[in-house]
Order: sequence, then structure tokens, then C-alpha cells
Amino acid sequence: MLIAGAAIFFYAPTDYLQGPVQRIFYLHVSSAIAAFGCFAVVLVGGVIYLRNESPAADRFARSGALVGVVFTTVTLVMGMLWAKTVWGAFWVWDARLTSTLVLWIIYAGYLLVRRLADPGRQAARFAAVVGIFGFIDVPVVHFSVTWWTTQHPGPVIINDALPPQMLATFLFTMACTVVLAAVMIAIRYRIETLVDEREQVFEPAKVLVAREPEPVQ
Amino acid sequence: MNPFRVALAVARKDLRSEWRTREVVPALAQFIILALLIGNFGFQVDSRNAASIAPGILWLALVFAGLVAFGRTFAAEREQASLEAMLMTPASPVAIFAGKAVAASLLLIACEAVMLPALSLFFGTPFSADVVAAVLIATVGMAALGCLFAAMVARVRARELLLPLLTLPLWIPFIIAGGQAVQSAMGLPGSYSEAISLLIDFDILFLVLTSLAARFVLDE
Repeated sequence: MLIAGAAIFFYAPTDYLQGPVQRIFYLHVSSAIAAFGCFAVVLVGGVIYLRNESPAADRFARSGALVGVVFTTVTLVMGMLWAKTVWGAFWVWDARLTSTLVLWIIYAGYLLVRRLADPGRQAARFAAVVGIFGFIDVPVVHFSVTWWTTQHPGPVIINDALPPQMLATFLFTMACTVVLAAVMIAIRYRIETLVDEREQVFEPAKVLVAREPEPVQ
Repeated sequence: MNPFRVALAVARKDLRSEWRTREVVPALAQFIILALLIGNFGFQVDSRNAASIAPGILWLALVFAGLVAFGRTFAAEREQASLEAMLMTPASPVAIFAGKAVAASLLLIACEAVMLPALSLFFGTPFSADVVAAVLIATVGMAALGCLFAAMVARVRARELLLPLLTLPLWIPFIIAGGQAVQSAMGLPGSYSEAISLLIDFDILFLVLTSLAARFVLDE
């Protein structure tokens, strides 16, 4: 991460038109990609959980959602700072910005479901459903720049629009960010395992049998 | 058990209990009229800008009326603790869910039958088949999603809080496409047929997904 930071500021050339602000690009795009990766973990974890009720898959989904929301926040905040200097406003109602905001809200809702549902099987199952539906928005965010005419620039990486030094810096930053996200998920996974062990939420049917029906009002 | 007959029976049961109590539809119709009233005070509406403001008021009122309608779907079952009883029968949970979704969307359509004429009465916007079609097509997918999450939050604490938070972001595709359709039906620029086909795509996508997910939400 430190080397990536150094590369962003000293190795990569300054953008001709936008000046030093353009250096936000490296971390902005990398954290967006890392966030997509995290939400893919949520999706896969949710699907596996619904198939075989494996608590480990659910813990991965939980950790992925939390880390993903963090990276989406980073993307949004950095994008807003960049937009203020380049577009002149923190926010424009453009398809990609709007859909990213919706993405953030969906996964923030996911975290709320986790907090409000009965911990254990119910929370895991409901959250898995939310995670699967929420992932619909990820391709929408990704393709929004191609589907609709937007102010947000289109993909520059796969279109060979970057000079080699910028590309090298970007790829390195992206690799570091994705590894960072993976490490954060792993740490969170450890925490969730400890919490589950302490709370014993996935302990067998006892929980279900002991649950009393809601009182008739 | 034939799942279609189960769904039909559940839908008829829900509609009959609504017919006997007459709780949801009159309340929602009043709510919608109030929303139009608030729209009138919140915006400076006159005959020139009515066409650009009315679609926004329509979708705002519809979305919040929908949240209330779908939130009520499982409220009665929860109060009587009868959902568990229904799930213990050999009927498939997906069929029960489909029946409840159909009943809830019919209730919402009854409210729309109040809202759309009232909108054109109060704001002087055209009341055309295009507007009605766009709203009805959007209702299908919105009802599927709304009922799925209503079934989910029925067993969660703070359900009134959670239902809008989960449902609204996933309704946004319908509001984007439906908003565009209604705007172009009221004479603003934009392609009507494109928006309608997008709405139908979203309907199919979310109907398939909700029917797959309903089993996991209701099964316990």
C-alpha cells in the first residue's frame, strides 16, 4: 500500500489537463473494483448458505458486505472530491453516481438486516436473499457508463487509453487494494467466527424449539 | 396440491377479508389524496409546469402507498399468528406467497384506480391509456419485490423501519423506467416504447428471482 502510495505521487506522470487531482483516479477506481469484489463474495456466500446452510459461507458474506460498504464509501467520497475540482460540483445526478449511491444504500440495508433480524439462521437466510438481490445493482453500476450517456467517464483501462506509466501505477494500486480488501475480509471473518462461538447462534435446533410463538395481540 | 389453486385460494381469502373489514383500500385512497394535496403545496403547480411535476408526485405517492399496502399484507397474519398455520399445510410456500402477492397488488391497483383519475383531475394532466399501462406494468414487479421483503420483515424487529430501507432501493429500476414512461405519456421528451419494454424486462427478472427466493423467506 505504501509503495502504491509512493508510485501514485512520484512515479505516475501528472495529467496534462486535470493536474494533480487526477491522482485520485488510482485509488478511486481501485476501491470501486475492490467493492465489487466484496459484493461478489456476499453473493457467492449467500448462494452457498441458501444451498447448504454453512455458517462459514454466511460469515464470509457478512464480512464481505461490511468491507464492501467501506470501499464503496471510499469510492464515493474520493469521487466527490475529484468531481468538485473537475466538474465544479460535489454531486451530479448521473447514472453511475446514482447507481453507486443505490448500491451503498442496498448494502447498508443488508448490514441493518443483520442487526435487526434474530441472529443465527433467520438473519443469515434473510441477509442472503438481500445480498443476492442487491448484486443486481453491481452490473448496472458497471455498465451504466455504456448504457446511458453520462458525465462520468467510461472505462479507460481496457480501452488502452492510459500511458504505460499510469497503467503500471494503476494496476499495482489495484492489486494492493484488492489484497487489502481480502485481508480485511479475512480479519473480519476471524472476528465473526469468535462472535458466533461466543453467542452460539448456529447451535442446532435448540434455538428453534425454544423460540416461543409471538403473543397474540 | 395444485399450486395455482392454492395461490388462488389464498388470494381470494385475503381479498375477502379486505372486503369484509374494508381497512386498507379506503385508508390508502385517502392517503393518496393527501399526498396529492401535499404535492400541490410543495410545488408551485400551474397549467404550464403540471406535466413535468405530476409524474414525480404520482411516483412518490404510489411508492409510499405501495410500502403501506405490502407492509399490511403480512401484518394480519402476524397478528393472528396464522402464517405459521398456513405454512404447516402441505401447500407449497411459494404458492402461498404468490397468492398473497396477487391479493396485495390487486389492492394497490384499486388505489391506483383512485389515484390516476384524481391526479388528472387536480393537475389537469392527460389521463390516457399509456399512463395507466405504465403504472400497471410497474405494479407487477414492484408487488413481487414488495411482498417478498414484507414477508421477510414480518418476523424481524423494527419492521416498519426496515421495509422501506430494503424495498425502495430495489424499486428504483421501476421508478427510472416507469418515470420515463409516464413523463413521455404526459408529453415530455423521451421514448415511451423503450421505457415500457425496459419495465417488462424488469418485471420478468424480478418475478423469476422472487419466485426463487420466496421459498427461503417463508420456509422455516
